Amino acid sequence: MRVVVVGAGLAGLTAATDLAAAGITPIVLEASDRVGGRTRGIEVAPGAWADAGAAYLGDRHTELRALLDQLGLKTVPTTMLGASRFALDPSGHARSRDGRFPPLNAVAIGDLFDKLDELTSQLPKHAPWLHPRAAEWDTMTAQQWARENLPHPDARTFFPLFLGEMMAADPAAISVLHMAFYLRSGGGTRYLNAFEGGAQNERVDGGSHQICEQLAAALPEPVHLGDPVRSIHQTSTELDGTAGQVHVHTEKACYECDAVVVAVPPLLADQIDFSPALPLSRAGTRTSPGCAVKVHLVYPKPLWREHGLSGWSVSARGPLTSTVDDSPPDEAAGVLTGFVTGADVYEFAALSLVEQQEQARAQVRLLFPELPDPIAVHVTDWVNAPYSRGCYAALMGPGDWISRGPHLTTAHLRVHWAGTETSTEYFGLMEGAIRSGHRVATEILTRYENLRRSR
Amino acid sequence: MTVTAVSEIFRRVLAAPDVEADSDFFDIGGDSLLATRVLSAVSREFGTELTFDDFLNARTPAALAQRIASAR
Repeated sequence: MRVVVVGAGLAGLTAATDLAAAGITPIVLEASDRVGGRTRGIEVAPGAWADAGAAYLGDRHTELRALLDQLGLKTVPTTMLGASRFALDPSGHARSRDGRFPPLNAVAIGDLFDKLDELTSQLPKHAPWLHPRAAEWDTMTAQQWARENLPHPDARTFFPLFLGEMMAADPAAISVLHMAFYLRSGGGTRYLNAFEGGAQNERVDGGSHQICEQLAAALPEPVHLGDPVRSIHQTSTELDGTAGQVHVHTEKACYECDAVVVAVPPLLADQIDFSPALPLSRAGTRTSPGCAVKVHLVYPKPLWREHGLSGWSVSARGPLTSTVDDSPPDEAAGVLTGFVTGADVYEFAALSLVEQQEQARAQVRLLFPELPDPIAVHVTDWVNAPYSRGCYAALMGPGDWISRGPHLTTAHLRVHWAGTETSTEYFGLMEGAIRSGHRVATEILTRYENLRRSR
Repeated sequence: MTVTAVSEIFRRVLAAPDVEADSDFFDIGGDSLLATRVLSAVSREFGTELTFDDFLNARTPAALAQRIASAR
C-alpha cells in the first residue's frame, strides 16, 4: 500500500513512523526546508539550543514521553527559583515579588478561575459541541464573556494575559466554547497553567526539534523537503479497495497513492486544492492563526539568578507580556524567552527585525535594570510563518466549533486528517499532535486492510 | 466551625478528600492558582477578602480560619 503524508511536523512524522512500522514506506512531503513544523530549534550559543516553537511538557503528556524515551531524549525541569518581576499597573514600573503570583487582587483572580472552571468542568471532553450551552458559547467571544463576567479591573487586566500565555489567543478572536474546550483539553486551568506539576514541568534537553529530526532520519525514505503540495485529486469516489486512486501534486512532481494523511494546520490545509472538493473547508469562517512570536534574549549565562531573580515576568503592556528562563541546564548560555501573544502580535510582527529587537531590549531594560544588554536577540514570528500560519494552534472563532468540531477527523474519501488541531486531547500541544498521528495511522491500517494484504 | 468549613473549601478546590486542620495547602497539591480559588471561596462564604500573602502566612485550615476570624 502507498501512503503520502503531507507535513513533517510531529503529527505527520508520528503517523509516518507508525505506518513504516507496519511495513508501509510512506512518502512524506514537507513544504518548508526543514522538518519539525511548530517545533524548531535555534542555536543561541555554540552547542546551546533554545526552542523557538513548542517547548514544554508535563507528566500527563504520556505519548510524548513514550516517544522521548524511545528516541533516548532527556528532559530538564523548568524549576524557577527566586523572585518574579511584574509590571501590571499603568506606570509600567516593574516590581519584584516572590513566586509567580502577580500583585493583583487574589479574590478577583480566584473568581475568574472559578468561572473558567464552571465553563470547562462539564464540557464533554471529546465533543464540546454537545454541551447544552454549546450554541450560546459558540456565538460569544471570550472578550464579550469577560465583559459580562469579570467585574473587577484586576481580573480584566489578568484575563488577556492568561489567555495569551495559555493559548496564544486574543480574547476577541476566540469563542467562549473554544476557550473552554482548549482549557479542558489541556487538563484544566491548573494543569495547563502550572510549571511544576503541570504542562510546563519540563523541556526537552537540547530542544524539542530533535524529536522530528530523529523520526525523519529513521524513516525508510527521506522526507521530501521544500515540496509544497498544491492539489490532491481523487480519481474515484468509491472506497472499493482498488489501489492508486489518489494523485498528490506538488510543483515538482505527482505522487500516486492509495491514501493521504494531511497533517498541517487547518488554514494551510485549505490552501490545497482538493478534487472532489472538501464538503466543508477545514478552517471555519472565523478561524485564525495562533498569535505567538517568541523572542530569545541571550546572555553569557543566566545572570538574573545572581540577583535572586527567576527570570519570570509578566507585563500588562507588551510587546513581551511574559518572560521565562529557558537557559540550557549546563548554563552554557543564559536564555530569557519573551512571549508576544494575542492582540499585540500583529503590530509587533509588522515591525522590522531591528525595531523588534530594540523593543524587546527596551522592555527587558525596564523589567530587569540590573542586567546588561543581551548579546543577541532572536525573533521567531509564527503568525507569518508561511508553512505554519500560527502557533501554538489555530484559534477557533465564533461559529467554528459547532460547524467544524464534529468533522475534525472525518476522512474525505481517502484523505485523512492529523495535526494537533484534530486532537480533542491536548489540542494545540505537542501531545495532541502525536496522539493525532497515532490515531490517523491506526485509521489507515484498519480501513485499508485489504489493500495492505494485496501488496 | 470555621476550621471545618475551610477544610471543606480546601477539599473542594484540591479535589482531594484528605485534608486535616493542619494540612499545608501547598504540600497537598495546592499552587498559586488554586490558592486564589480558596480566597474567592472564603470571600463568598465568610465575606472576608484576604490577600495572597495572607494565605501564604496561613496555609492550613486552622491558621486560615484564625485569620478569617481576626479579620471579621
